Amino acid sequence: MAISKEEVKRVAMLARLDIDEKELESMAGHFNSIIEHFNRLQVLDLEGINPFVTEDTEGTPLREDIVREWGKRDIALKEAPDAEGDFFRVPRIMGEEN
Amino acid sequence: MDLYHLTAARMVQGIKEKKFSALEVLDSCLSRAHSLENHLNAVITFSEEKARENARKVDKAIADGEDPGLLAGVPVLVKDNMCTDGVRTTCASRILGEWKPPYNATVVDLLRGQGATVTGKTNMDEFAMGSSSEHSAFGACHNPWDYDRVTGGSSGGSAASVAAGYVPLSLGSDTGGSVRQPAGFCGIYGLKPTYGLVSRYGLIAFASSLDQIGPFARTMEDIALGMNVITVPDKRDSTCSRRERPDYTEALRTENLKGKKVGVVREFQDYKLDPDIQSAVERTLKILEGEGAEIVEVSLPVTMDSGLGAYYILAPAEASSNLARYDGVRYGYSAPSDDLLSLYFKTRKEGFGTEVKRRILTGTYVLSSGYYDAYYLTAQKVRQVITKEFNNAFAEVDSIVMPTSPSPAFRIGELLSDPIQMYMMDVFTLPVNLAGLPGLSINAGFSSKGLPLGVQLVGPKWKETDLISQGSILEKTFGPARIAEGGAKQ
Amino acid sequence: MKIEFTPVIGLEIHVQLNTATKLFCSCSTDYIGAVPNSNVCPLCLGLPGTLPVLNSRVVELAVRTSLALNCSINRITRFHRKNYFYPDLPKAYQISQYDLPVGEHGYVEIPGEDQEMRKIGITRLHLEEDAGKLVHSAADGRLSGSSNSYVDYNRAGVPLAEIVSEPDIKSASEARRYVTRIRQLVRYLGVSNGDMESGSLRVDANISVKCSDGRWGSRTEIKNMNSLKALEKALEYEIKRQSRLLEKGEKVIMETRHWDDGKGITRSSRSKEEAHDYRYFPEPDLPPLILSEDYDRKVAESIPELPWEKEKRFSTEYGLEMEETANLTENSAMADFFESCLKHGASPKRTANWIMTEVTRALHEQGITIKELKIKPEDLAGLLVMVDRNELSNTAAKELFEAMASSGDDLETVMDRSSVETGGISGEKLKVVIKTVLEQNQDVVEIIRSGKDKKNKKTKFLQGLVMRETKGQADPREVAEMLQNMTEE
Repeated sequence: MAISKEEVKRVAMLARLDIDEKELESMAGHFNSIIEHFNRLQVLDLEGINPFVTEDTEGTPLREDIVREWGKRDIALKEAPDAEGDFFRVPRIMGEEN
Repeated sequence: MDLYHLTAARMVQGIKEKKFSALEVLDSCLSRAHSLENHLNAVITFSEEKARENARKVDKAIADGEDPGLLAGVPVLVKDNMCTDGVRTTCASRILGEWKPPYNATVVDLLRGQGATVTGKTNMDEFAMGSSSEHSAFGACHNPWDYDRVTGGSSGGSAASVAAGYVPLSLGSDTGGSVRQPAGFCGIYGLKPTYGLVSRYGLIAFASSLDQIGPFARTMEDIALGMNVITVPDKRDSTCSRRERPDYTEALRTENLKGKKVGVVREFQDYKLDPDIQSAVERTLKILEGEGAEIVEVSLPVTMDSGLGAYYILAPAEASSNLARYDGVRYGYSAPSDDLLSLYFKTRKEGFGTEVKRRILTGTYVLSSGYYDAYYLTAQKVRQVITKEFNNAFAEVDSIVMPTSPSPAFRIGELLSDPIQMYMMDVFTLPVNLAGLPGLSINAGFSSKGLPLGVQLVGPKWKETDLISQGSILEKTFGPARIAEGGAKQ
Repeated sequence: MKIEFTPVIGLEIHVQLNTATKLFCSCSTDYIGAVPNSNVCPLCLGLPGTLPVLNSRVVELAVRTSLALNCSINRITRFHRKNYFYPDLPKAYQISQYDLPVGEHGYVEIPGEDQEMRKIGITRLHLEEDAGKLVHSAADGRLSGSSNSYVDYNRAGVPLAEIVSEPDIKSASEARRYVTRIRQLVRYLGVSNGDMESGSLRVDANISVKCSDGRWGSRTEIKNMNSLKALEKALEYEIKRQSRLLEKGEKVIMETRHWDDGKGITRSSRSKEEAHDYRYFPEPDLPPLILSEDYDRKVAESIPELPWEKEKRFSTEYGLEMEETANLTENSAMADFFESCLKHGASPKRTANWIMTEVTRALHEQGITIKELKIKPEDLAGLLVMVDRNELSNTAAKELFEAMASSGDDLETVMDRSSVETGGISGEKLKVVIKTVLEQNQDVVEIIRSGKDKKNKKTKFLQGLVMRETKGQADPREVAEMLQNMTEE
């Protein structure tokens, strides 16, 4: 199934990537080549396979509920591209998700 | 002989025996590095001041009769996707700007804890996405054996720096072959541990379920030494196994391989390999047989046919999520913008290179609504099948021998216009990541053109010791890796 | 024929779990009033190379709550990534749960319209991390009109349990009762403050309307209801809005709407059709969480008596009415106080009554909770026992109660201080008082004796005199009886 430029645009929006017309062409082309490899997977018999097998898992470790202060938050704010006082600042949010 | 020629083990010995100082060793290594950097471009950031400070600390400890550790005074380099406290960490990308992490990756702490001096951060493919170390915002990395050729990737700088004698030991990360493949291209040893053996804390993530940090060295002894240092369990990484680690240097003492079974993959026989690689594999098998191993054929049909497809669904999928945080808000590069959406779009457009964008798009696509089942879910199932195939094979054999790459190092620029061809470079390495297994690339001689040849040994989970013993036995015949001199065209 | 409209409501409640540290890092969760970006670390700031580690106490609280909601606990539970871009989301994904939540298929009982208990299904309880807080630069704090926004990550990573109900709720008032019940439960369990105003309990509603002619309107999501009252008003408004549309033959648009408390309306914020593509996939940085039956059992043992269990027990054990038990068990501290009084000998009925009247009033007047009340259960019990034994009149008891409540002194002390006599005035002592009153009011006595006091006005007059003389320390019933006897003599 060929990927259209519209599809690439939609995906680019989801990923917050600004792809210009020239790049769109090459991206669509790349997609179509790699999808050939993806489609090879479709012919396999994958009936009854649990995709997230946990047989040999050690399980996720648990951490004690004890407060530990980092102590370097000033460095983090200093590294911020745009910080004002104790806050990280971002420009105008227009009609964005909430 | 210049001190930079020494292996890590000999450096430690010499420093502890006070034959020479850590500072002398460091100076030798740094001047070697600087003499070749114009040709190789293997290092993005040198941190000489800190390194000298640490070397002095080691020397003082020795003078005071203390033991600075297993890697006392050894200069090391780490790939620039491992966080180093107060030292710029870029992932070879523009998007991290001049960001300096306020913490060390666990492996960096472990190295320093054993007295190693971290001298800098090596060049790589941006965010570890690549097989050539050409996709770098800081320019391509060059192969010390032939400056016109690639080092392989994505840990090209770490491989080249060991091959060229900058340092005896370096760390890389391997997601689909990024330690093994450059080891093969640069003629040194590179080990990718079992997934979960080494802490990923502080390793800037590419594909979380595939990434693993591994050592580069010119001898198996140094590989084993490096493994002893970096495989300490870490509570900060929930995927890091809590099992007990063996002493990897014990594996160096293996006498022979009597009773061991070594597998060859039936499906790989049909693969069109570079004839020199083919001979290297055959020679390797002969040596192992000579040491008492039995060669057995195993079959990995799905692995051979579908590994690439599954990998290029799963790795980009995880990457698309891991790289979403780079948005210009909290750190790194931030494009001046009037509104939030523009900030996101501009920052990421200007900050990311083309290959990274390609993979983010691919990853976003295979996870998106309507495609998740057909692609991501399917790929995860295929991953299970591949894992099972390997497990079945390991019921018959103790290890599997296969090429590291289909060919030796290719020319710089040769595959840039054909991403899929580039992806094919990893066809023998990426299934090992999918199955979470350990893999070692050994130095197996040189091609008729004088290019290094790598052969890969793969083992069952947690059996690095077996790989290290086989590697050290092969080292007796192939010899330890030589330091590349000249790099003139062959 | 007129069409009937039946609301179909499901609620999603986010409960902030009151652990000391965040879900995946060791930063403090105490963000209210804290300096912005002070409870942060590389992980909850989303710095590169950081990895999540699960808080053991969060797991305990989640399992505890799930068990109390009669959910079955999944042996293997797993985290997922929910991917989207917003400045308050530091990693650009939220670690949440998708197909294998902690608990599923539970239910909770709430009082129905007619006081009968109603079962509301609980679809699931899952864990997720909270986002940071955004402050907008505009003077009215609103998003539109702000040229900048400011981000505080103190709240980012705080653990939330999301409780999703089945669409079993049938009215706005039922929704209110359901949320009240959940709030009561999380407070009883000690897993959360459950406070809507400060944000430790948040409610989103999914609501649609079924028509009796077979049509079923689309579902809308309602957000921004910050109190129980707002919840009820918002849902009532939305039910009306949707019903009107359907009545006119129009369609309800599937979308998210915000409740505007000032204007008393819901307004559209975003079409649900453009819903986010969250690209959920299993969190690769966290192996699955394995919950053994042993673990569940241990957690179950830590569950205190639940509100509805207590209500039932109070009803059977103490013979109390539904309204009384509901009041007494509203919060566990009150219920404990009540039972403590009983332990010290007070009778259930009287104690229940006093708690619902005097105690509640005192708490209200002083603006305190039962835990801060200056009266100890043993002292209240002592007081009530005396009333039970007619040693003290209600009026006198109330006086003593006030004294204790304001001074914090114990019963003995306040009794010594006051002019109240223990034992009250009864029996022979009372006889003396009544005799005096009768002697002083012979004319009134005559009227009563002659049978002309048809409305008992004169009797009551005499009773009042007696009470005044005894300074309220006589039992009114005894006074009435004795007075009658002595008047007839």
